[in-house]
Amino acid sequence: MDLQTVNAHVSRVPFFRFLNFEVHSLDSLHAEAEMTFDDRHIGNPVMEYYHGGIIASFMEATAAIAVQPDFADVPAKPINLTVDYLRPGVKGPLLARANVTRKGHRMASVSVQSWQAEREKAVAEGLYHFLLV
Amino acid sequence: MSDITQKKMEQIAQMWNARGKSLITHMALEIEEVSTEVVRVRMPFNKDFCVDAAQTLLHGGILTALLDSVFGLANFVAIEGVSTMATLDLRVDYLRPARSRADVIVQAHCFRETRHIAFNSGNVWFDGHEDAEIARGTASFALTRGATSLFDAMTKGKAS
Repeated sequence: MDLQTVNAHVSRVPFFRFLNFEVHSLDSLHAEAEMTFDDRHIGNPVMEYYHGGIIASFMEATAAIAVQPDFADVPAKPINLTVDYLRPGVKGPLLARANVTRKGHRMASVSVQSWQAEREKAVAEGLYHFLLV
Repeated sequence: MSDITQKKMEQIAQMWNARGKSLITHMALEIEEVSTEVVRVRMPFNKDFCVDAAQTLLHGGILTALLDSVFGLANFVAIEGVSTMATLDLRVDYLRPARSRADVIVQAHCFRETRHIAFNSGNVWFDGHEDAEIARGTASFALTRGATSLFDAMTKGKAS
């Protein structure tokens, strides 16, 4: 699946447009994406940090694309998630990399890291489950 | 009746209004009930938060964002003397597809606070369908206690 097609899919999802991100790389088990900062993503207006829910949403979106990049109508169905917030997400681009740790017939388990300037300094890590049926 | 003071209510209103450019402004949240025991907030339907072309199915992420926001409010109301608050971790179960154009209702509370940590849980449903929860979440928050109140930081622009 080529990136142009995937990003065309992404741009058809209203909430993905709200998040405003682009998929940068993709293979059968990984997806990497970059989100552009916007005022509507702010959780702490004084410090201009990303809202934790926006970070979790962006990681969920990246995970769903890693699981089903060729989604027809709606992205992969999420079951649940756990997110660990490690550092504040400051004003600027946010990146995420999703690794599909297991993909069976019915379920998929995906681990996601997000970061800003340095990949080693994670902003958040998450574990997401999807229903594939 | 709740034991929440008038002063705290006014602070909540001011803090809510001070969030000019932020996600919760975009979510157009309305506080329905607020006490030290429970906080209930309403989010009107917003097609920007949907995943489908027909715009009737909400993305799970927005429910996660709602829970995170309302947990923060519940902690602000229930805990005295907090100067900063940060989400440590968050778990959300999506119990059924969030397919409706009804308003979303979120109810949350802080079920345990210690000097450093607050523990929260919350439920999400579509208005009029409390018996069919669409999501449930739990979270923990790291608290910093100190002289500068969270309220002052949020409304007077004092950066830490």
